[in-house]
Amino acid sequence: MTEPQRDIRQAVRRRLARRHRAERRFQAYGVAALAAAGLFLVLLLGSIAIQSAPAITQHKLTLPVEITAELADPRGDLSEASLRRGSYNTLIQNALREQFPTVAERAELRELFGLYSGVNAARLLNRVASAPELVGGRVEFTFPISDDADLYLKGVTVRERIQPGLAPIAISAEDTDRWRLVSDTPVFAEILVETRQALSVEAAGLERRRDDAVERAEAARDEDARRAASATAERLDAQLQRLRIQAQPDQALQLGPTTKSVLVQVGDGVYRLTGIGADGASASAQRLIGEVSAGAVSDWRLWTVLTPPTARLISDRQIAWARALSDRGLVENGFNTILFTRADSREPELAGVLGAIIGSVLTMVITMLLAVPVGVGTAIYLEEYAPKNRLTDLIEVNINNLAAVPSIVFGLLGLAVFINLFGMPRSAPLTGGMVLALMTLPTVIISSRAALRAVPPSIREAALGVGASHTQAVFHHVLPMAMPGILTGSIIGLAQALGETAPLLMIGMVAFIADAPALGFGGFTDAATVMPVQIFLWSSGAERAFEARTAAAILVLLAMMLSFNAVAIYLRRRFERRW
Amino acid sequence: MVDTLETQHAEKTVYHPVSQDGAIKVATRAVNVLYGDKHAIIDVTADIPDRAVTSLIGPSGCGKSTYLRCINRMNDTIDTARVAGSVTIDGEEVNDRSVDPVLLRARVGMVFQKPNPFPKSIYENVAYGPRIHGLAATPDELDEIVRTSLEKAGLWDEVADRLAQPGTSLSGGQQQRLTIARAIAVNPEVILMDEPCSALDPIATARIEELIDELRENYAIIMVTHSMAQAARVSQMTAFFHLGKLVEYGPTEEIFTNPRDQRTQDYITGRFG
Amino acid sequence: MQVSLYTALALLVLTAIGFLIGRRRALAAARSGQDGARERLHSLPNYHGYYIALWTGAPALILIALYGVLGSSLTNMLALGELERASAPLRASYEQALTSDDRLIALALQTREAEGEIVTVRAALAAAREDSDRAGSEAFSGRLTEALRARNDATAEAAARRAELAAALVAGPQGQSADARALAGFEYFTLPAERRELFISDARAFAFGEGLPSRDTPQIRATAQLLPGYQNIFRFSIAALALAGAVLALTLTRGRIHARFRARNRVERVVSVALLICSIIAILTTIGIVGSLLFESGRFFASIDWRVHEFLFGTQWSPQIGIRADQIGQTGAFGAVPLFAGTALIMVIAMFVAVPVGLFAAIFLSEYAGPTTRAWAKPALEVLAGIPTVVYGFFALLTVGPFLRDFALFLGYEDAVTQSALAAGLVMGVMIIPFVSSLSDDVINAVPQSLRDGSYAMGATKSETVRLVVMPAALPGIVGAVLLAVSRAVGETMIVVMAAGQGANLTANPLESVTTITVQIVMLLTGDQEFDSPKTLSAFALGLVLFVMTLCLNVLALHVVRRYREKYD
Repeated sequence: MTEPQRDIRQAVRRRLARRHRAERRFQAYGVAALAAAGLFLVLLLGSIAIQSAPAITQHKLTLPVEITAELADPRGDLSEASLRRGSYNTLIQNALREQFPTVAERAELRELFGLYSGVNAARLLNRVASAPELVGGRVEFTFPISDDADLYLKGVTVRERIQPGLAPIAISAEDTDRWRLVSDTPVFAEILVETRQALSVEAAGLERRRDDAVERAEAARDEDARRAASATAERLDAQLQRLRIQAQPDQALQLGPTTKSVLVQVGDGVYRLTGIGADGASASAQRLIGEVSAGAVSDWRLWTVLTPPTARLISDRQIAWARALSDRGLVENGFNTILFTRADSREPELAGVLGAIIGSVLTMVITMLLAVPVGVGTAIYLEEYAPKNRLTDLIEVNINNLAAVPSIVFGLLGLAVFINLFGMPRSAPLTGGMVLALMTLPTVIISSRAALRAVPPSIREAALGVGASHTQAVFHHVLPMAMPGILTGSIIGLAQALGETAPLLMIGMVAFIADAPALGFGGFTDAATVMPVQIFLWSSGAERAFEARTAAAILVLLAMMLSFNAVAIYLRRRFERRW
Repeated sequence: MVDTLETQHAEKTVYHPVSQDGAIKVATRAVNVLYGDKHAIIDVTADIPDRAVTSLIGPSGCGKSTYLRCINRMNDTIDTARVAGSVTIDGEEVNDRSVDPVLLRARVGMVFQKPNPFPKSIYENVAYGPRIHGLAATPDELDEIVRTSLEKAGLWDEVADRLAQPGTSLSGGQQQRLTIARAIAVNPEVILMDEPCSALDPIATARIEELIDELRENYAIIMVTHSMAQAARVSQMTAFFHLGKLVEYGPTEEIFTNPRDQRTQDYITGRFG
Repeated sequence: MQVSLYTALALLVLTAIGFLIGRRRALAAARSGQDGARERLHSLPNYHGYYIALWTGAPALILIALYGVLGSSLTNMLALGELERASAPLRASYEQALTSDDRLIALALQTREAEGEIVTVRAALAAAREDSDRAGSEAFSGRLTEALRARNDATAEAAARRAELAAALVAGPQGQSADARALAGFEYFTLPAERRELFISDARAFAFGEGLPSRDTPQIRATAQLLPGYQNIFRFSIAALALAGAVLALTLTRGRIHARFRARNRVERVVSVALLICSIIAILTTIGIVGSLLFESGRFFASIDWRVHEFLFGTQWSPQIGIRADQIGQTGAFGAVPLFAGTALIMVIAMFVAVPVGLFAAIFLSEYAGPTTRAWAKPALEVLAGIPTVVYGFFALLTVGPFLRDFALFLGYEDAVTQSALAAGLVMGVMIIPFVSSLSDDVINAVPQSLRDGSYAMGATKSETVRLVVMPAALPGIVGAVLLAVSRAVGETMIVVMAAGQGANLTANPLESVTTITVQIVMLLTGDQEFDSPKTLSAFALGLVLFVMTLCLNVLALHVVRRYREKYD
């Protein structure tokens, strides 16, 4: 070793530790990138799985319904025509009123009937129409409870707490709709403290936000920003003042729609507190449901609905009714079969994905019948027949570019050409399938070409060598060997088409379709929707219950795509050949 | 048949690797390499002299390149490769866990079969080693290293005025001299050459051979070659590999004029290869 | 439908019979050689069968398919022809009334004057702008506004007057005596072009139960009564024609079968032509895309007086305003810059996520990971790539968006919204990760091992090799991959539709909601739409911009990647 060589070794050695640290850092970036991708995947699938949980089961209400002749059979001849004119919704309404006989006021009745959707009457009608002997008797009719009550009973949207009453209370009427609850001990003290605490926490948050806004108003550069910020500040300040008044100690606490609801349950009756005295021992209340029961009671329950009424869609009264029905054993939580056996509906509890699944199947049939033969034909032509000339070059470039055209542009093509020029039906699986076929075509072509190219030339030469024509060599020898690759590529392309939404929005498959299309030739031209579009429609649904159903529909779609891919993998394994 | 032949030879001949004039630079003892299940080289023991050119010859797939790659632990980069046995440079074990391959490879330069200049300028190609190892404190020092390396590689006159052009713009022979310049820029002790001339035309080959002969004065050079004539022209020592085994090793003259092993004889007379 | 279906089935049966006959005759021809010796067939018997089957089935089936595609438009055309004839006298008197109406003549004159004024003022305005004469251009633009208003008022009034005349005519004696068909024809042909479509589809809704009609008038009912008759004539004649053609072809080709008939060559010719046609479909698709986008965009630009620069460089996007003809606000309502900016903002955010993560994942997988890691990571990335975009959209809308909003509120940003550019961009970035990583993986693997060996042999560590040798070598390919990813991000629809919002804000603040080209296309073309209004047509102009953008990116990317491949192949 010479002197300079020794120096160099020293120099290299000095930097070694730093370089290895850089190496580890770099590798950590790689691991982090991969972990991030994995984390996203887990988050995505996990959050959807969690969100879908409330849609898996559904609460169903079973009521004894009196099929009174005058309502069910207006003409009285038990003919189908007569039965179909009956007012079955009234029958269900009567059955519900039977459960809560004290409800009399119109507004209150409307609230009560809000516990289910009138669409259910059609099912009762069908049942009676198919068995007219039921008229005059009583039937046990089971139907889904409204989505809001369902979510409440599942504990998704509403948090509540039920405690036994600490000490006896005396209930007395103040006037027709105001009641007074008084006890020897401060039974409501806990609620009082708790609510005030919550209010002051909220006030503190508001105060911070108001101060921020004031600060921003002062720091604002231009007039508009300053004005906007001070408006925000004023709004927040007003809210804050209101809260402060509510939260003042040593005062009676007013309970309102923005605070939690405090209910007192006495036997069948439920009272809602409107205010609590400063001592925590007395309160004023309204009667929500049940019989009038003035006097002293020792067996009562303090029922706190922690989610304030403004933050939920179900009223206090409906909560009380739903709970009462549930306590009477009339409500049962079971597997949500409706999700899989019905088409779309405006009522979340009656909405299902069956229509969309059938629409997807019909659309995919068209896509498959068009994209696969044409795509494979093109691939065979380009790989086996095409002379090297301008035209084939053009086709090649063209296919590569088509593969990168955004899917929405195919939708525009479908709208302009298929619908407006050819007059094909809007919203139909036929049109949708054709648009998706054009979109899938490049994928099928590219993967089929790769599969054909992977067949060794020796196979072709051997076939030609024994006297087969070119076409025979291709169709009898090359194509069968390339088949697994072609099938895999085609299925992957179809799976892509199955998940595609945007082009279908363009051709009107975004319509609300309450009837599942027929699984037959007629279905191809009926208006339909497909799974991804159904997901899109539901995701913008206002009702909270659609959120879970959207997530469940996503799981169904993913399962469909997964089975597609499983078929592809199976085919690849089954027919894989090595040479 | 082959089997019996081999066992016979194994019993008859024990090779005492000879060093020509003094210092031993690289010594290998019972080196074995497995690629997965394939036993690529078997029990190779040899002492390689400093400041001399040692040629490794033998038919394709006999393990010469694998042996070469043991010396700078390039086999580490292949997932399935396993190396056993001892390789020392100046008496220091190479295969030891504690030896950093980075440090080792700074000491052992390598030139490949196909010229592989990096997709960078000529200057940056030569400066690559000094840069990553931090050998130059100032740009001027780096310029100096690049210039001397290119001079040593006999390329300076040809590229002095176009150092900023990409290395790939040079001709094949020039590219190979560039990779030699790149290797000697970090002043290594050993230079490994894996068929450095096989992708070149005869004129370029002659220039490289001249260069190798010049470099011999400062470095221990180990060269794999397919051409027996080249081995005879350039090297002082020659090792003949066959089926993963070192069959014969000695001064080039002896190997070519008076081989002791029948297989060596057959190979150099062109009966197989 | 039913008739066509049965015809198609009958054709299939005929085709099968054709095949069997061809085969049988070929075999017979082979046996009946001279002197009882077997004559050698030129082609296998099956090919004779295919030959006859092709001639029997293909033309007839193509006819049926054509009917399936074009039948309804032809039926409409015939029915409308009848309406046209029936309503001829009514329309003639209407034309008469139009030309003799003083008010209309006066209005037409006003319109023409206003248009003349518009042309002159516009020229003057342009000249004033060129001379940077501020006062002049202000005055001229004031005059232009006035002229435009005058013209629009005149045209609107003329339209109202025409409607009035038409109503009077229908209510008058001639209208009273006309039959429903004539009235229907009169209504149809006096409708503005964009409303006719709806009229026909309503009529079809009544006639064939296609969808739900939007309204129910005696005129539409009358048209609906006409349609089934024509449709029946059509489909029965097509069915008869197809069947007759098939039978004819069968008998004609049947006679041509003999031993030396070159059936195979003919069949193979047909096969290769069919394959060529298949591959031409790809070209037709492109022609269809380019043609329809250009045509509809042309109509759009015509409706905004070919002020293309205002579309491309205007900063005000409010297509709703442009709907009503009597509004002068048309000017500048179709400035697409906010859309381009929104698209770019989201694309940039997506790239900030996708490029580093995707690239590092690809580097790790190709340079560091062992086979076990690869066996897990690659399918996971494929799953990420296979998830439908609507699912990503849902994730962005319900998980990422609210989270980001709450986080921004927590940090004291008061105006945070759920639908923000950041939410859409982040999720889109996640969606593109596998795209970037698999493309980069290919590119990195294409870098020859000899370069890596060269670097390792110099004593470089793995990361130095990757950073200093592999990356520079793979750079063109990676640039190509990123360009493709950009094109993908620009064309992505569902995530932005669901998570980016709809307000056309021109902002660089990722916490605000922005809108993109694709979102606007969806907004403009879903829901109630009047075809032919500039609002709807503008979607096609946006589509054209999108298509051109992605095409350029793609061509550029493919070019870069190809150059890169050539370098190392």
